[in-house]
Amino acid sequence: MSVFLLARWSTKGRLEAAVAAALLVLACSRQETRSAVDDAGDPLPPAEMRTRIVSLSPATTELLFALGAGDRLVGRTRWDAWPDAARTVPDLGNGIRPSVEVVMAARPDLVVLYATGDNRDAARAFRAAGIAVISLRIDRIEHFERATRLLGDVVGEPVRAVVVADSVRATLERVRRATDSLPHPTVFLHAWESPLLAIGGGSYLSQLVEIAGARNVFADFPGPSPQVSFEEVLRRNPEYILAGPATLRTIRETPRWQRLPAVRNGRILVMDTSLVGRPGVRLGEAAVSLARLLHPGVLP
Amino acid sequence: MSGRLAFLLVATGFAVVAGVAIGPVWVAPADVWRALAGDGDPVVRAIVLDVRAPRVALALLVGASLGISGAVLQGALRNALAEPYLLGVSGGAAAGAVLAVAVGVSAPSVISVAAFAGALLAVALVMGVARAAGWRADPRVLLMAGVVVGAFANAAIMVLLAGAPAETTRGALWWMMGSLGAAQWRDAARLALVLAVTGPALLHWARDLDALALGHDAAAALGVRPEQASRRLFLTASLLAAGTVAAAGLVGFVGLVVPHIARGLVGARHRAVLSVAAIAGGGLVVAADLAARTVRAPAELPLGAVTAIVGVPFFLSLLRRIR
Amino acid sequence: MIVFERVSVRYPGAAVDAVSHVSLDVLPGRLTAVVGPNGSGKSTLVRALLGRVPLASGRILVDGDSSVDLPPRELARRVAVAVQREEPAFPITGRAYVSLGRAPHVGAWGTDPREDEWVDRAAALAAVTELLTRRTDELSGGEWQRLRLARAIAQDCPTLVLDEPTTFLDVAHEMAAFELLSSLSRRGAAVLAVSHQLNLVSRFADQVVLLSRGAVAAAGSPADVMDARILEPVYDWPLVVSHDPAIGAPTLVPLRRTMPHDD
Repeated sequence: MSVFLLARWSTKGRLEAAVAAALLVLACSRQETRSAVDDAGDPLPPAEMRTRIVSLSPATTELLFALGAGDRLVGRTRWDAWPDAARTVPDLGNGIRPSVEVVMAARPDLVVLYATGDNRDAARAFRAAGIAVISLRIDRIEHFERATRLLGDVVGEPVRAVVVADSVRATLERVRRATDSLPHPTVFLHAWESPLLAIGGGSYLSQLVEIAGARNVFADFPGPSPQVSFEEVLRRNPEYILAGPATLRTIRETPRWQRLPAVRNGRILVMDTSLVGRPGVRLGEAAVSLARLLHPGVLP
Repeated sequence: MSGRLAFLLVATGFAVVAGVAIGPVWVAPADVWRALAGDGDPVVRAIVLDVRAPRVALALLVGASLGISGAVLQGALRNALAEPYLLGVSGGAAAGAVLAVAVGVSAPSVISVAAFAGALLAVALVMGVARAAGWRADPRVLLMAGVVVGAFANAAIMVLLAGAPAETTRGALWWMMGSLGAAQWRDAARLALVLAVTGPALLHWARDLDALALGHDAAAALGVRPEQASRRLFLTASLLAAGTVAAAGLVGFVGLVVPHIARGLVGARHRAVLSVAAIAGGGLVVAADLAARTVRAPAELPLGAVTAIVGVPFFLSLLRRIR
Repeated sequence: MIVFERVSVRYPGAAVDAVSHVSLDVLPGRLTAVVGPNGSGKSTLVRALLGRVPLASGRILVDGDSSVDLPPRELARRVAVAVQREEPAFPITGRAYVSLGRAPHVGAWGTDPREDEWVDRAAALAAVTELLTRRTDELSGGEWQRLRLARAIAQDCPTLVLDEPTTFLDVAHEMAAFELLSSLSRRGAAVLAVSHQLNLVSRFADQVVLLSRGAVAAAGSPADVMDARILEPVYDWPLVVSHDPAIGAPTLVPLRRTMPHDD
């Protein structure tokens, strides 16, 4: 880019061009520079080989196992159930508002927190005790790549991180290519009944659904789980409803859903929530499972 | 009689010791002792000195403040059911905190300041409403103003939470249930400052409370200006209550029940009542916080829930004795 | 000593004065009584003294100083007032209640080392010593009334003002209360008793002031005021004033308007 600019300008303008080019390079490289803060806006801990890691969210626990750091885990939340090896890691309670005392008793050198307002106090307390903290939050697929990289750096597995990220990306690409040419039905992803919440464009699930060859009717809503009105759902008239097993029951038992043609025609697809429920290392598998639901036979 | 008082002091002291020695993680007494002396395993030291000790300190301060504030309001309003949050403090603080959370603030200290500011604003509103309604001598007008402002604050909270994402609602709800989980020495220092300013003032005015407890005319006969004295008592007690809310969220029942305990122990002279209420309140909240963090360890119960669970049967037994 | 100089009081929003240009002296060594029908302004005078209602005109001089210029504590050191209605919000022991009378003399942080002495002396004078250990919520109406008198005495002021001191008291205690007030006045105190008990007042008071609709209808010795021609129009009831030599003071006897055989 800078060479091109230099060639175009006359000798007199070369200084200006050089300055412009330098600024441009700086701007580009800034985008490529690793950001220095985590998802809570706090500075990142230094990259080291961490030997005692407490992971307080299911997504990061499975990520750490994928990074090969599973044997260095000394604590997880009670909800972390995958992979099976995770069950042997000590259960330290909740990932939101964790017990600072209990986590500290595990003597970690790194605590991985779910980045949310409720965890600010815990983050502060751990840092005050001299324990490294990284707060991560994965709402979209690109956050997953970023989290994988950051986590890989911080626990001393940068190479494995690239491998994991690349592998997931490759699977997603494969699914996208397989469904690209197929007709994309419209779907409504039912997240919660009261208040009525849909999966919006800000969620990885919406991205997965697009990759799997469908169109999320509420993709134009920027948040991950926006509140929508039932009339809006009727108006957008999705061809399919995507729901988990529990939500399926709710839809069947709540009379108003019968007004939706998709429900009347039995076009409700049940997702495997253990797979699609969180944006972790199994994003690729999740995309595959959704694609098989939406386009049976496409991906054997 | 002083035997019961001695028992109260011992019980409070015991609660403090237990609060530092007991927690979801087992720490041997000898290790607790070593940690307090500044020695021993740094992790144990951190648990005892950075996690438990500030909680116990803050619990003592919150309990003492609520006890004093409740006793002052009950005396000044001549009402056994008065409590520290009566004059708009709880509604205003909750509205301030929820507003902060709803606009995306996550820094706990900012939420704390928002709660404090909300409380003060609500108290000012209550006094203003009462004055506009012609409050010359009637505490009932003040109480009704408190109810009105509280209802308005609740409406504001509901509107804010109705459109908010799940996380905001969860955070707001947690705050409103009261908790000492985030206690740091800084928070304790701040509340200690508020108590250091308001406590001695209220003790100084304890004589006025004794006179006010007889009725406004009788108080005047004893040399008190009833309206002025009441007003400064309400404001100071509400300021103290606002300080506790900023530090720990809404902790109910303590300010209601502790003054009755104090009066049962030392009679109705307010200098004694305020002092004993401080001790009893401190001990009660330390014990409640200990229960909140150990009963369902490692999860934590909200402090306000524990004080309510303990407070309700206690209050019922009090009612029976009053009958 | 209290001097009411043409005092007028009007309650906010009222059409007429509650007290209208009332002048009266409460001098040391005398028992002054203010009497009159309900609503004649008797209690309003006491409340005006305490500053509970503003003066529309006139002044109240307490030991020479205007009452509005005196800080409330100073006023409470000069005048001990037992108001008409008083009810502790929370039960208190008799001793603790009577000792509240010492409050105006002691600072916020001070304690009176002779407090117990004062309390015991006042309780003995008011004959309530056995009530000191009881709680105020356990007392009968009469016992509470007498305890309140003890508190006013404990306040040890040169002037004593009592608003209806004999409510709830039986004959014996009524007489005892007025005998006590009389003896206090003879010992030099300036005593003002607001009362509707005309017969007791006529027997014990040195000076009687009769109020009617906020104004002074008559003032003077009991013999001057206890006259049927003066009292009947004020009370709007048929009255007879008899002079029984055994009593030594005029006695008011109200007559019946309806007789049993009239129904």
